[in-house]
Amino acid sequence: MTLITIESEITGNVWKIEAAAGTATDEEDVILILESMKMEIPVESPEKGIIKEILVNEGDQVQEGQGLAILDTDS
Amino acid sequence: MKAAVLREANKPLEIEEVQISKPGPREVLVRPVAAGVCHSDLHFLDGSYPYPMPTILGHESAGVVEEVGSDVTYVKKGDHVITCLSAFCGHCNKCLTGHLSLCASPEVSRDATEESRLSIQGETVHQFLNLSSFAELMLIHEHALVKVREDMPMDRAALIGCSTTTGVGAVFHTAGVEPGSKVAVIGCGGVGLAAINGAAIAGAGQIIAVDRVDSKLELAKAVGATHTINASSGNAVGEVVEMTQGGCDYTFEAIGLKSTAEQAFQMLCSGGTATIIGMIPVGTMVELHGVDFLAEKKIQGSNMGSNRFRVDMPRFVDFYLSGKLHLDEMISKHIKLADINLALDALKTGQEARHVIMFN
Repeated sequence: MTLITIESEITGNVWKIEAAAGTATDEEDVILILESMKMEIPVESPEKGIIKEILVNEGDQVQEGQGLAILDTDS
Repeated sequence: MKAAVLREANKPLEIEEVQISKPGPREVLVRPVAAGVCHSDLHFLDGSYPYPMPTILGHESAGVVEEVGSDVTYVKKGDHVITCLSAFCGHCNKCLTGHLSLCASPEVSRDATEESRLSIQGETVHQFLNLSSFAELMLIHEHALVKVREDMPMDRAALIGCSTTTGVGAVFHTAGVEPGSKVAVIGCGGVGLAAINGAAIAGAGQIIAVDRVDSKLELAKAVGATHTINASSGNAVGEVVEMTQGGCDYTFEAIGLKSTAEQAFQMLCSGGTATIIGMIPVGTMVELHGVDFLAEKKIQGSNMGSNRFRVDMPRFVDFYLSGKLHLDEMISKHIKLADINLALDALKTGQEARHVIMFN
Protein backbone atom coordinates (compact mmCIF):
# COMPACT_ATOMS: atom_id res chain seq x y z
CA MET A 1 0.00 0.00 0.00
CA THR A 2 1.42 3.39 -0.99
CA LEU A 3 -0.20 6.24 0.86
CA ILE A 4 0.11 9.92 -0.14
CA THR A 5 -0.98 12.75 2.11
CA ILE A 6 -2.50 15.55 0.05
CA GLU A 7 -1.56 18.83 1.71
CA SER A 8 -3.01 22.31 1.51
CA GLU A 9 -0.88 24.82 -0.41
CA ILE A 10 -2.61 27.73 1.30
CA THR A 11 -4.24 28.84 4.52
CA GLY A 12 -8.03 29.00 4.23
CA ASN A 13 -11.35 27.30 4.95
CA VAL A 14 -12.75 24.02 3.65
CA TRP A 15 -15.75 25.13 1.57
CA LYS A 16 -16.90 21.85 0.08
CA ILE A 17 -15.83 18.20 0.15
CA GLU A 18 -16.45 16.66 -3.25
CA ALA A 19 -15.24 13.08 -2.69
CA ALA A 20 -15.70 10.76 0.30
CA ALA A 21 -13.37 8.08 1.68
CA GLY A 22 -13.45 5.06 -0.59
CA THR A 23 -13.92 7.09 -3.78
CA ALA A 24 -11.76 6.08 -6.74
CA THR A 25 -10.05 9.08 -8.29
CA ASP A 26 -8.17 9.82 -11.46
CA GLU A 27 -5.37 12.35 -11.65
CA GLU A 28 -6.80 15.91 -11.46
CA ASP A 29 -10.17 14.82 -10.03
CA VAL A 30 -11.33 17.42 -7.50
CA ILE A 31 -11.34 16.04 -3.93
CA LEU A 32 -12.37 19.18 -2.08
CA ILE A 33 -12.60 22.95 -2.55
CA LEU A 34 -10.89 25.42 -0.23
CA GLU A 35 -11.82 29.07 0.14
CA SER A 36 -9.06 31.60 0.72
CA MET A 37 -8.99 35.36 0.14
CA LYS A 38 -12.34 35.20 -1.71
CA MET A 39 -11.05 32.49 -4.05
CA GLU A 40 -12.36 28.97 -4.36
CA ILE A 41 -9.36 26.72 -4.78
CA PRO A 42 -9.88 23.12 -5.91
CA VAL A 43 -7.63 20.47 -4.39
CA GLU A 44 -7.06 17.78 -6.98
CA SER A 45 -5.89 14.20 -6.79
CA PRO A 46 -2.20 14.13 -7.75
CA GLU A 47 -2.59 10.70 -9.32
CA LYS A 48 -4.95 7.76 -9.75
CA GLY A 49 -5.97 6.00 -6.54
CA ILE A 50 -8.59 5.52 -3.85
CA ILE A 51 -9.21 8.06 -1.13
CA LYS A 52 -8.41 6.32 2.12
CA GLU A 53 -9.40 9.14 4.43
CA ILE A 54 -10.58 12.75 4.35
CA LEU A 55 -8.81 14.54 7.21
CA VAL A 56 -10.96 17.68 7.40
CA ASN A 57 -14.61 18.71 7.55
CA GLU A 58 -16.52 21.40 5.67
CA GLY A 59 -16.06 24.71 7.46
CA ASP A 60 -12.70 23.76 9.01
CA GLN A 61 -9.86 26.26 8.91
CA VAL A 62 -6.70 24.75 7.42
CA GLN A 63 -3.08 25.92 7.42
CA GLU A 64 -0.55 25.77 4.62
CA GLY A 65 1.04 22.32 4.67
CA GLN A 66 -1.81 20.72 6.63
CA GLY A 67 -2.91 17.28 5.47
CA LEU A 68 -6.34 17.28 3.81
CA ALA A 69 -6.75 13.73 2.57
CA ILE A 70 -4.89 10.45 2.26
CA LEU A 71 -4.75 8.76 -1.13
CA ASP A 72 -3.89 5.07 -1.65
CA THR A 73 -2.17 4.91 -5.02
CA ASP A 74 -1.77 1.11 -5.15
CA SER A 75 -5.48 0.40 -5.23
CA MET B 1 -29.15 35.60 -19.06
CA LYS B 2 -26.08 35.29 -21.25
CA ALA B 3 -22.62 34.90 -19.72
CA ALA B 4 -19.10 33.96 -20.79
CA VAL B 5 -18.47 30.54 -19.25
CA LEU B 6 -15.04 29.01 -18.60
CA ARG B 7 -15.21 25.22 -18.61
CA GLU B 8 -11.53 24.32 -18.96
CA ALA B 9 -8.28 26.21 -18.37
CA ASN B 10 -6.64 27.62 -21.48
CA LYS B 11 -9.79 27.16 -23.56
CA PRO B 12 -11.86 30.05 -24.97
CA LEU B 13 -14.83 31.24 -22.92
CA GLU B 14 -18.19 30.28 -24.38
CA ILE B 15 -21.26 32.49 -24.37
CA GLU B 16 -23.97 30.38 -22.76
CA GLU B 17 -27.44 30.79 -21.29
CA VAL B 18 -27.03 30.78 -17.50
CA GLN B 19 -29.70 30.68 -14.80
CA ILE B 20 -29.33 33.13 -11.90
CA SER B 21 -31.02 32.61 -8.52
CA LYS B 22 -33.34 35.10 -6.78
CA PRO B 23 -31.77 37.48 -4.24
CA GLY B 24 -31.53 36.07 -0.73
CA PRO B 25 -32.22 38.39 2.23
CA ARG B 26 -28.83 40.12 2.04
CA GLU B 27 -28.20 39.82 -1.68
CA VAL B 28 -28.49 42.30 -4.52
CA LEU B 29 -29.16 41.67 -8.19
CA VAL B 30 -27.06 44.04 -10.29
CA ARG B 31 -27.33 44.67 -14.03
CA PRO B 32 -23.76 45.48 -15.08
CA VAL B 33 -23.34 48.31 -17.55
CA ALA B 34 -19.58 47.93 -17.93
CA ALA B 35 -17.01 45.29 -16.97
CA GLY B 36 -13.24 45.60 -17.26
CA VAL B 37 -11.21 42.71 -18.62
CA CYS B 38 -8.41 42.49 -16.07
CA HIS B 39 -5.05 40.76 -16.25
CA SER B 40 -5.93 38.88 -13.05
CA ASP B 41 -8.63 37.05 -15.01
CA LEU B 42 -5.82 35.54 -17.09
CA HIS B 43 -4.24 33.90 -14.04
CA PHE B 44 -7.41 31.87 -13.61
CA LEU B 45 -7.90 31.32 -17.33
CA ASP B 46 -4.40 29.85 -17.72
CA GLY B 47 -4.67 27.72 -14.56
CA SER B 48 -1.80 29.34 -12.64
CA TYR B 49 -4.46 30.00 -10.00
CA PRO B 50 -6.69 26.90 -10.11
CA TYR B 51 -10.43 27.55 -9.84
CA PRO B 52 -13.34 25.12 -9.86
CA MET B 53 -15.14 24.91 -13.21
CA PRO B 54 -17.40 25.79 -14.79
CA THR B 55 -17.06 29.37 -13.72
CA ILE B 56 -17.75 32.85 -15.06
CA LEU B 57 -14.73 35.13 -14.80
CA GLY B 58 -14.80 38.92 -14.44
CA HIS B 59 -14.44 40.92 -11.24
CA GLU B 60 -14.29 44.60 -12.19
CA SER B 61 -17.64 46.13 -12.96
CA ALA B 62 -20.16 48.91 -12.47
CA GLY B 63 -23.88 48.76 -12.99
CA VAL B 64 -27.37 49.49 -11.78
CA VAL B 65 -29.27 47.78 -8.98
CA GLU B 66 -32.07 45.67 -10.41
CA GLU B 67 -33.53 44.02 -7.28
CA VAL B 68 -32.66 43.78 -3.58
CA GLY B 69 -33.18 41.09 -0.95
CA SER B 70 -35.62 41.53 1.94
CA ASP B 71 -33.01 42.71 4.48
CA VAL B 72 -31.09 45.09 2.22
CA THR B 73 -31.43 48.76 3.14
CA TYR B 74 -28.17 50.22 1.79
CA VAL B 75 -29.22 50.29 -1.89
CA LYS B 76 -32.46 50.33 -3.87
CA LYS B 77 -33.48 49.57 -7.43
CA GLY B 78 -31.91 52.07 -9.80
CA ASP B 79 -28.87 52.99 -7.69
CA HIS B 80 -25.55 53.15 -9.51
CA VAL B 81 -22.96 50.87 -7.94
CA ILE B 82 -19.42 49.61 -8.29
CA THR B 83 -18.89 45.98 -7.31
CA CYS B 84 -15.87 44.78 -5.35
CA LEU B 85 -14.49 41.35 -4.62
CA SER B 86 -13.45 42.47 -1.13
CA ALA B 87 -16.82 41.56 0.30
CA PHE B 88 -16.71 42.04 4.07
CA CYS B 89 -18.78 40.47 6.85
CA GLY B 90 -18.41 43.49 9.17
CA HIS B 91 -18.01 41.59 12.41
CA CYS B 92 -14.90 39.36 12.24
CA ASN B 93 -11.58 40.29 13.82
CA LYS B 94 -10.19 41.60 10.52
CA CYS B 95 -13.22 43.80 9.85
CA LEU B 96 -13.38 45.11 13.41
CA THR B 97 -9.70 46.07 13.37
CA GLY B 98 -10.07 48.00 10.11
CA HIS B 99 -8.70 45.39 7.72
CA LEU B 100 -11.89 44.80 5.74
CA SER B 101 -10.09 43.64 2.61
CA LEU B 102 -8.65 40.71 4.60
CA CYS B 103 -12.06 39.48 5.75
CA ALA B 104 -12.17 35.76 5.07
CA SER B 105 -15.67 35.09 6.36
CA PRO B 106 -17.51 32.62 4.14
CA GLU B 107 -20.88 34.23 4.95
CA VAL B 108 -20.69 36.59 1.96
CA SER B 109 -21.08 33.58 -0.32
CA ARG B 110 -23.76 30.93 -0.27
CA ASP B 111 -22.66 27.79 1.52
CA ALA B 112 -22.32 24.45 -0.20
CA THR B 113 -25.77 23.26 0.93
CA GLU B 114 -27.69 26.20 -0.60
CA GLU B 115 -28.80 26.61 -4.19
CA SER B 116 -25.86 28.09 -6.07
CA ARG B 117 -26.24 31.68 -7.27
CA LEU B 118 -25.41 30.59 -10.82
CA SER B 119 -26.25 27.40 -12.70
CA ILE B 120 -26.74 25.92 -16.14
CA GLN B 121 -29.67 23.50 -16.33
CA GLY B 122 -29.08 22.34 -12.76
CA GLU B 123 -25.28 22.21 -13.00
CA THR B 124 -23.52 24.49 -10.48
CA VAL B 125 -21.57 27.34 -12.01
CA HIS B 126 -18.95 28.53 -9.51
CA GLN B 127 -19.25 32.24 -8.89
CA PHE B 128 -15.85 33.85 -9.41
CA LEU B 129 -14.62 35.85 -6.40
CA ASN B 130 -18.24 36.26 -5.31
CA LEU B 131 -18.86 38.38 -8.43
CA SER B 132 -18.65 36.83 -11.96
CA SER B 133 -19.04 40.00 -14.00
CA PHE B 134 -18.71 38.62 -17.54
CA ALA B 135 -22.48 38.21 -17.40
CA GLU B 136 -25.63 40.20 -18.08
CA LEU B 137 -26.65 39.98 -14.41
CA MET B 138 -24.77 39.58 -11.13
CA LEU B 139 -26.17 38.26 -7.85
CA ILE B 140 -23.90 39.40 -5.03
CA HIS B 141 -23.82 40.01 -1.28
CA GLU B 142 -24.82 43.54 -0.27
CA HIS B 143 -21.32 44.00 1.17
CA ALA B 144 -19.77 43.48 -2.27
CA LEU B 145 -20.90 46.81 -3.72
CA VAL B 146 -20.77 50.54 -3.10
CA LYS B 147 -23.10 53.31 -4.25
CA VAL B 148 -21.56 55.98 -6.46
CA ARG B 149 -22.52 59.33 -7.98
CA GLU B 150 -24.72 59.05 -11.06
CA ASP B 151 -22.59 61.54 -13.03
CA MET B 152 -19.69 59.05 -12.99
CA PRO B 153 -19.33 57.32 -16.40
CA MET B 154 -19.91 53.60 -15.92
CA ASP B 155 -16.96 52.42 -18.02
CA ARG B 156 -14.57 54.47 -15.90
CA ALA B 157 -16.35 53.44 -12.71
CA ALA B 158 -15.83 49.77 -13.59
CA LEU B 159 -12.06 50.22 -13.46
CA ILE B 160 -12.30 51.54 -9.93
CA GLY B 161 -13.80 48.14 -9.01
CA CYS B 162 -10.39 46.48 -9.16
CA SER B 163 -7.34 47.95 -10.89
CA THR B 164 -7.63 51.49 -9.53
CA THR B 165 -8.42 50.35 -6.01
CA THR B 166 -5.60 47.78 -6.09
CA GLY B 167 -2.93 50.15 -7.40
CA VAL B 168 -3.89 53.40 -5.70
CA GLY B 169 -4.79 51.55 -2.50
CA ALA B 170 -1.38 49.83 -2.39
CA VAL B 171 0.22 53.28 -2.45
CA PHE B 172 -2.15 55.00 0.00
CA HIS B 173 -2.98 52.21 2.43
CA THR B 174 -0.53 49.30 2.20
CA ALA B 175 2.67 51.33 1.77
CA GLY B 176 1.62 54.77 2.98
CA VAL B 177 3.78 56.70 0.48
CA GLU B 178 4.97 60.04 1.86
CA PRO B 179 5.19 63.31 -0.10
CA GLY B 180 8.62 63.76 -1.68
CA SER B 181 9.59 60.09 -1.49
CA LYS B 182 11.24 58.07 -4.27
CA VAL B 183 9.04 55.43 -5.85
CA ALA B 184 9.49 52.75 -8.52
CA VAL B 185 6.67 50.74 -10.06
CA ILE B 186 7.51 47.54 -11.96
CA GLY B 187 4.85 46.67 -14.54
CA CYS B 188 2.66 49.26 -16.23
CA GLY B 189 -0.57 47.38 -16.79
CA GLY B 190 -3.79 48.70 -15.28
CA VAL B 191 -2.70 48.12 -11.68
CA GLY B 192 0.82 49.46 -12.15
CA LEU B 193 -0.46 52.59 -13.88
CA ALA B 194 -2.92 53.08 -11.02
CA ALA B 195 -0.03 52.80 -8.55
CA ILE B 196 1.90 55.44 -10.52
CA ASN B 197 -1.16 57.69 -10.54
CA GLY B 198 -1.61 57.09 -6.81
CA ALA B 199 2.03 57.94 -6.11
CA ALA B 200 1.58 61.20 -8.02
CA ILE B 201 -1.56 62.05 -6.01
CA ALA B 202 0.34 61.19 -2.80
CA GLY B 203 3.02 63.70 -3.77
CA ALA B 204 5.95 61.35 -4.42
CA GLY B 205 9.01 63.28 -5.59
CA GLN B 206 10.37 60.77 -8.06
CA ILE B 207 8.22 58.11 -9.74
CA ILE B 208 10.05 55.61 -11.93
CA ALA B 209 7.98 53.39 -14.23
CA VAL B 210 9.55 50.09 -15.33
CA ASP B 211 8.14 48.00 -18.19
CA ARG B 212 9.25 46.29 -21.40
CA VAL B 213 6.70 47.99 -23.66
CA ASP B 214 7.37 51.57 -24.80
CA SER B 215 3.69 52.40 -25.34
CA LYS B 216 2.97 51.51 -21.71
CA LEU B 217 5.85 53.66 -20.54
CA GLU B 218 4.29 56.55 -22.49
CA LEU B 219 1.02 55.89 -20.67
CA ALA B 220 2.96 55.85 -17.41
CA LYS B 221 4.25 59.35 -18.12
CA ALA B 222 0.72 60.50 -18.88
CA VAL B 223 -0.50 59.37 -15.44
CA GLY B 224 2.38 60.75 -13.39
CA ALA B 225 5.70 58.92 -13.93
CA THR B 226 8.67 61.29 -13.75
CA HIS B 227 11.11 58.75 -15.25
CA THR B 228 10.79 55.55 -17.27
CA ILE B 229 12.98 52.50 -17.80
CA ASN B 230 12.52 49.95 -20.56
CA ALA B 231 13.58 46.79 -18.71
CA SER B 232 14.26 44.90 -21.92
CA SER B 233 17.30 47.07 -22.60
CA GLY B 234 19.37 46.19 -19.54
CA ASN B 235 19.60 46.09 -15.79
CA ALA B 236 16.52 47.81 -14.37
CA VAL B 237 17.72 47.46 -10.76
CA GLY B 238 21.00 49.20 -11.52
CA GLU B 239 19.26 51.98 -13.43
CA VAL B 240 16.77 52.62 -10.62
CA VAL B 241 19.54 52.69 -7.99
CA GLU B 242 21.52 55.11 -10.15
CA MET B 243 18.54 57.38 -10.92
CA THR B 244 17.62 57.61 -7.25
CA GLN B 245 21.22 57.85 -6.02
CA GLY B 246 20.90 54.86 -3.74
CA GLY B 247 17.50 53.26 -4.17
CA CYS B 248 13.82 53.92 -3.60
CA ASP B 249 11.83 54.53 -0.44
CA TYR B 250 8.96 52.56 -1.92
CA THR B 251 8.77 50.04 -4.74
CA PHE B 252 5.72 48.28 -6.15
CA GLU B 253 5.67 45.06 -8.14
CA ALA B 254 2.58 44.85 -10.34
CA ILE B 255 3.29 41.84 -12.55
CA GLY B 256 3.33 38.74 -10.36
CA LEU B 257 6.73 37.18 -11.04
CA LYS B 258 9.42 35.85 -8.71
CA SER B 259 12.13 37.76 -10.59
CA THR B 260 10.39 41.14 -10.49
CA ALA B 261 9.38 40.68 -6.85
CA GLU B 262 13.04 40.13 -6.02
CA GLN B 263 14.01 43.15 -8.13
CA ALA B 264 11.50 45.31 -6.24
CA PHE B 265 13.38 44.44 -3.03
CA GLN B 266 16.77 45.04 -4.65
CA MET B 267 15.70 48.53 -5.78
CA LEU B 268 15.18 49.76 -2.20
CA CYS B 269 17.33 52.15 -0.24
CA SER B 270 17.98 51.52 3.46
CA GLY B 271 14.68 51.48 5.32
CA GLY B 272 12.69 51.15 2.10
CA THR B 273 9.59 49.06 1.61
CA ALA B 274 8.76 46.81 -1.34
CA THR B 275 5.07 46.07 -1.87
CA ILE B 276 4.15 43.05 -3.96
CA ILE B 277 0.81 43.57 -5.68
CA GLY B 278 1.13 41.08 -8.55
CA MET B 279 -0.28 37.58 -8.22
CA ILE B 280 2.73 35.27 -8.03
CA PRO B 281 1.74 31.73 -9.09
CA VAL B 282 0.83 29.31 -6.30
CA GLY B 283 3.87 27.31 -5.17
CA THR B 284 6.47 29.89 -6.30
CA MET B 285 9.12 30.86 -3.73
CA VAL B 286 10.71 34.32 -3.56
CA GLU B 287 14.40 34.58 -2.56
CA LEU B 288 16.00 37.56 -0.83
CA HIS B 289 19.48 38.33 0.45
CA GLY B 290 19.21 38.00 4.23
CA VAL B 291 21.87 40.62 4.86
CA ASP B 292 19.56 43.27 3.37
CA PHE B 293 17.37 43.05 6.46
CA LEU B 294 20.21 44.68 8.42
CA ALA B 295 19.47 47.78 6.32
CA GLU B 296 15.86 47.61 7.53
CA LYS B 297 14.56 46.87 4.06
CA LYS B 298 11.03 45.54 4.17
CA ILE B 299 8.83 43.50 1.83
CA GLN B 300 5.08 43.08 2.13
CA GLY B 301 2.07 41.88 0.20
CA SER B 302 -0.92 43.93 -0.84
CA ASN B 303 -4.33 42.46 -1.58
CA MET B 304 -6.82 44.72 -3.37
CA GLY B 305 -4.93 47.76 -2.10
CA SER B 306 -5.77 47.06 1.56
CA ASN B 307 -9.05 48.76 0.72
CA ARG B 308 -12.01 49.98 2.69
CA PHE B 309 -13.85 50.18 -0.59
CA ARG B 310 -17.05 51.83 0.61
CA VAL B 311 -14.90 54.76 1.71
CA ASP B 312 -12.24 54.57 -0.98
CA MET B 313 -14.25 54.13 -4.17
CA PRO B 314 -16.45 57.23 -3.84
CA ARG B 315 -13.22 59.18 -3.18
CA PHE B 316 -11.66 57.73 -6.33
CA VAL B 317 -14.76 58.76 -8.27
CA ASP B 318 -14.28 62.30 -6.96
CA PHE B 319 -10.57 62.14 -7.91
CA TYR B 320 -11.55 61.19 -11.46
CA LEU B 321 -14.21 63.86 -11.81
CA SER B 322 -11.79 66.49 -10.46
CA GLY B 323 -9.04 65.44 -12.89
CA LYS B 324 -6.61 63.85 -10.43
CA LEU B 325 -7.25 60.22 -11.34
CA HIS B 326 -6.57 59.32 -14.97
CA LEU B 327 -8.96 56.64 -16.14
CA ASP B 328 -9.65 57.71 -19.74
CA GLU B 329 -6.15 56.61 -20.78
CA MET B 330 -6.64 53.16 -19.23
CA ILE B 331 -9.33 52.08 -21.68
CA SER B 332 -8.03 50.98 -25.06
CA LYS B 333 -11.29 49.62 -26.44
CA HIS B 334 -14.99 49.11 -25.70
CA ILE B 335 -16.26 45.68 -26.70
CA LYS B 336 -19.36 43.48 -26.57
CA LEU B 337 -19.54 40.40 -24.32
CA ALA B 338 -19.36 38.22 -27.42
CA ASP B 339 -15.85 39.56 -28.11
CA ILE B 340 -14.47 38.60 -24.70
CA ASN B 341 -11.94 36.09 -26.06
CA LEU B 342 -10.40 38.73 -28.33
CA ALA B 343 -9.99 40.99 -25.31
CA LEU B 344 -8.32 38.22 -23.30
CA ASP B 345 -5.99 37.45 -26.22
CA ALA B 346 -5.07 41.13 -26.43
CA LEU B 347 -4.25 41.17 -22.71
CA LYS B 348 -1.89 38.22 -23.17
CA THR B 349 0.22 40.20 -25.64
CA GLY B 350 0.84 42.88 -23.02
CA GLN B 351 0.65 45.56 -25.71
CA GLU B 352 -2.66 47.20 -24.80
CA ALA B 353 -4.34 48.81 -21.83
CA ARG B 354 -7.76 47.55 -20.84
CA HIS B 355 -10.73 46.43 -22.90
CA VAL B 356 -14.07 47.21 -21.27
CA ILE B 357 -17.20 45.20 -22.00
CA MET B 358 -20.30 47.37 -22.52
CA PHE B 359 -23.57 45.53 -22.01
CA ASN B 360 -25.93 47.88 -23.84
